[in-house]
Parts: sequence; C-alpha cells; structure tokens
Amino acid sequence: MFKIPTQERSHWRSLAHEYGFHFHTMYGEPYWDESAYYQFSLAQIENDLEAPTQEIHQMCLHIVDKVVNNEVLLEKLAIPSAYWQSIADSWHAKDPSLYSRLDFSYDGKSPAKLLENNADTPTSLYETGFWQWLWLEQKVDTGGLSRGADQFNSLQEKLIAQLAKIARHYQTDFMHVTCCKDTVEDRGTIQYLQDCAAEARIYTEFVFVEDIGLNEHLQLTDLNDQPISLCFKLYPWEFMQREEFGQYAVNQDIKWVEPLWKSVLSNKGLLALLWESFEGHPNLLPAYFASDIENIAKAKTAKAIADLSLNNKWVRKPLYSREGANISILENLVDTCQPQEQSLEQSQNARAKKRETRARQKTVLHESDGPYGEEGFVYQAYHPLPKFGDNHTLIGSWLVDNKAAGISLREDKDLITQDLSRFVPHVIL
Amino acid sequence: MKRSCRINLSRMRKSVSLAPLSLGLAGIFLSGCADNRDDAQLFTSIDDCTNGYPGLRDVCTTTYQQALKDAEETGPKYDTEYDCEYDFGPNQCREENTIFGSFYMPLMAGYLVGNMVSRRPFYQPMYTSYSRYSPLRNRWFTPDGLDLGDIRKRNFKVKRSIFDKRPFNTSTLKRGGFGQMAKSSSSYRPSSRGWGG
Repeated sequence: MFKIPTQERSHWRSLAHEYGFHFHTMYGEPYWDESAYYQFSLAQIENDLEAPTQEIHQMCLHIVDKVVNNEVLLEKLAIPSAYWQSIADSWHAKDPSLYSRLDFSYDGKSPAKLLENNADTPTSLYETGFWQWLWLEQKVDTGGLSRGADQFNSLQEKLIAQLAKIARHYQTDFMHVTCCKDTVEDRGTIQYLQDCAAEARIYTEFVFVEDIGLNEHLQLTDLNDQPISLCFKLYPWEFMQREEFGQYAVNQDIKWVEPLWKSVLSNKGLLALLWESFEGHPNLLPAYFASDIENIAKAKTAKAIADLSLNNKWVRKPLYSREGANISILENLVDTCQPQEQSLEQSQNARAKKRETRARQKTVLHESDGPYGEEGFVYQAYHPLPKFGDNHTLIGSWLVDNKAAGISLREDKDLITQDLSRFVPHVIL
Repeated sequence: MKRSCRINLSRMRKSVSLAPLSLGLAGIFLSGCADNRDDAQLFTSIDDCTNGYPGLRDVCTTTYQQALKDAEETGPKYDTEYDCEYDFGPNQCREENTIFGSFYMPLMAGYLVGNMVSRRPFYQPMYTSYSRYSPLRNRWFTPDGLDLGDIRKRNFKVKRSIFDKRPFNTSTLKRGGFGQMAKSSSSYRPSSRGWGG
C-alpha cells in the first residue's frame, strides 16, 4: 500500500460537469482529489480487505439474528420499542438489502480493523462506483497508468444486479427514491441510484423526504398522491423511527431499501455486540457499551481489566452518529476500571473523591462537534488511522448482496474522518 | 478483474460538455439502453387476459374494472347517438348516465395493461372504431385519441405517460411527517451535506 503522486487529468472538471458530479469541490475545499492515488497489491486487497469484509458482514448478520428477538439488546441499542416487532418481521421475511459500507483502519501490513458499519445510509457511492472507475479507465487509456492496473471496484455492476434482484423479490419494476432537501450530495447519490435502477430496467420516481404525504388509507404518498410501495431512502431509520410518519413506514404495504432490520446494524452498539460475540477476532477492536463499562469493571474479569487497562486510549462514539460527528478520543479513560462520569456523579465519600481526582486526569485528546449522543455511547479501543504524508487515511469497504464490492479511500488532516475529508482513487498493481 | 467490466457511459452523462469531446458523444447514439418504454398488453375482456395470464386473474379483473370506471370519466362523450356512431360505427354507442351528466359514449373495446407482473399495474381503457368515416377505423386508441396501431396488435411498447391516470389514487391528507430530525440537527452540518455516513 503506497500513496503515489500523479498528474490530474486536465479536463476532469469539465468531465465532472458533463457527468453531473457536482460536489467534487465543497466550500472551496477539494473533495475529489486525483493528485495522488493509493496502490495496493492483489494480495492486500483479497486477503486483507475483501475476505474480512465478507466475514465481518456474516458476523453482523449473526448479531442481527441475535438482537431481533432480544428485548434487552434492543433496549440497549436505543431502538424505540414500537418498532421491535416490525424489525423482527423484516428480518424474518428476509427483506433484501442493497448495500453497506464497512470502515476500516488499514496500513497495508497489519490486519484491517473495523471502525464502524455504515449499514443504513452509506454515501460516497457515486464517487466510488463510477467516478473513480472512470478515472482509472482514462488514466490507463492515456498511458498515465500501466495496462495491468486494476481497481477493487465492481460496485456499480453489483448495485445494478442487486437492484434488479430486489425488484424481482417485490415483483415490481417501479420504485420511489427519496432524500432530504438542500443536500447536493445526497441528491447526487440518489441520481446515481436512479441511473443504476434504470440500467436494471426499474422505473424510479423521486420525492423529497419532507414532501412525503399520508393519505386516508394511512399510506405514504408522493407529490402526485401516488402511494409509495417500494422506496429507496437516503434517510436514517433512527430519524424515521422518531418522527410522526414513522409508524406508517412500517405497515405491510410498504417496503424500504435499506430494509428496517438494517437499523440494528447502523447502530454503533453493534461494535460492542460484535466484540462480545467474537472477542479477539483480528479485524475487531475491543468495544463496550458505556453503560456496561462499570459493570465490567465491577466484575473485574481478567478480560475486562486487560481490555480496559491495556488500551490506553478510547474512542467514544454515540450510538447514532454520522460523518464522524460527536466522536471523542479519550486518554486515561479508566484507571481503577471505573468510568469517570459515574464517579463524578457519585462523589459522596472519600473513595469517590479519590476517583474524582483520577477522573480529572482523563484527557480529551480530540473531539468532533455534532448533534448526536442523546441515546448513549460506545467506547471502542483507539486504533489510529495510518498516516500517509500529512493525512490520515480511512478505507471504506463496500458490500452488495453479501459480497465485497470495492473500496473507497478518504483522507483527512484531522484524526477523525469527517464529511469534508477528501476522496482519493486507488489502483491494484 | 476486480472492477466493473462495463459501464454504460451514455446513461451516466448528464449534459454535453462544452469541451470538444466527440468521442464521448458517440456513446449516446451507440447505446441501445435509452429505451425507457414499458411492455404493455391489450386485452379485449377479462377472459382474454386470464387466458394469457392464468395466474393473474386478480390483476386481469381489477384492471378491467378500473379501466371501465376510468372510461366513464375520460371516454369520448357525445350529445347524440348519431354523432357517436359517426365516429365509432353502428351499434357501438350507448347512453350512459355519468357523474358529468347523460351522454352517448362508445363501448370500451379493450384495455391496455402495463407493468402487469407487479404490485402496481397500469391500465387504460382502449377504443377502436368501426366507422368508415373515421381515420381510426380498425386502430387501437386511447380515450384522448392517441393511435397505438392496428387492431390486430396485442403487445405494445409504450411510454409510461400513455397510462396517464395512475391506479388507485386517493388524495393526500397531510405532508411533512418526515424530515424534522434532519432539520433540527442541521445546524451542525454544512448545508449541502446529507445524512449519509
């Protein structure tokens, strides 16, 4: 895994205009960056990314199966109880999923570590499936890259095939697509999916999330009053489940992509559940529910003490969080294996005072702003992103129809990859 | 190969570049993928439909009934029997009491069904004319007079707009039941970014 500087295609901006890639630059900052690319060996791709991606996905499905019938876990994941039955129904009915993106920290040498699973509304789909593909084709055609250069990116092909499969599953050739207003990027992603759907011979009708209506039969409708029966949404289930129309989104007449059971996987609590079930897996990092840390510490199990004390730095992530919002990197999180929040609240006696002193040693090394966190947090052992030059590099590994479908690389000067990080293409050589 | 073998570039292109990219343009014309028309079948009766689709009796029946109902609303209406028969031929019209009043209307000669094998079939009442004065004699046409071809024809490739009125419409009572969470969180994100992760 190397980062190699390269010449930009001279006409890429006009090409972007031609293909409708309108968010390559945002707020004067480049988002698409082709001044360099990452080079992987085939073995790195196949052994270190492709295989673990598919394996972790299977582990995730195992977790869903465990969670949907377990009220304690559903509660822990802060999923509103009104949706528990529908989630289980959607899982048992095998409602098909279109895609997911697993985010990894990987440096080309040591095992890739799973940072999170974007299972409900992953983005950077267009840039990955189409735009970096086109970059490679053109670089090879113009001699800028060797003819032997390949890319881990069958995303578009697989999306089209899976959309066709989903349409067959629901016996239709028509689907609504929806995203929020005022988001150039999301509308671009939706347009891409519409293009893929058209290739799969599926008709699509667009409606903004805010414009969705409700008719007298309690069906959700588009702006032409058409009932929505199958809908691709780029809007998180955890929002829908907390909004007025959420209750109508789970009736029998309507199916969603991603399906409702994905709300189990798009939850950061998944990280703790994975660790609990597959502790020690080379691609997983130790992770715990914040609410569990105290109990683990009380139990003083060898495992907990090892995890909590060996890992000096922890990353605190809200159960619901997107684009790196509200994430903190903490040092000296626990000392006597006691989380600082609790000890501050319960400082009634001397021991607590002592703990309080210790708690003050806890340092927030890094923090990102954001709106999330009400529903609780998980702690995940800190595993730094590899650095290439000044940049921290994150690998997004895509899944379509249970198969690894390609990768996308995002670079950020910051430790926490956020929504203004840059997208850099890659090759296999 | 670990990447997509083929991508239909003409599908992905959203506008023609101002720069001279004649190579790119060729794709638009070479690709056969721009066909966005539906397959549709024409049936002259419910039996005609179920003969072809024995497993879809429900679809055959519902679309027939809906088409018949639509015909009352959208079908050609005449004040006199003579005018109607002039266009549609002898014994092709009868008096109907519709919600718009009493008119002479041609009989629905068939119905067109699109998206047959789906949860959302599309349908449209169809007419033909037996009048020697009509340019639409022995042709299939829609209520608003669009000629779909010879009366012997049963399978069509049609634009979705042919079906004009869509099935099972009811009016929407309220909107805005989604999106509040995004709005309340939006002060934390640059406005053009979405809810992806």
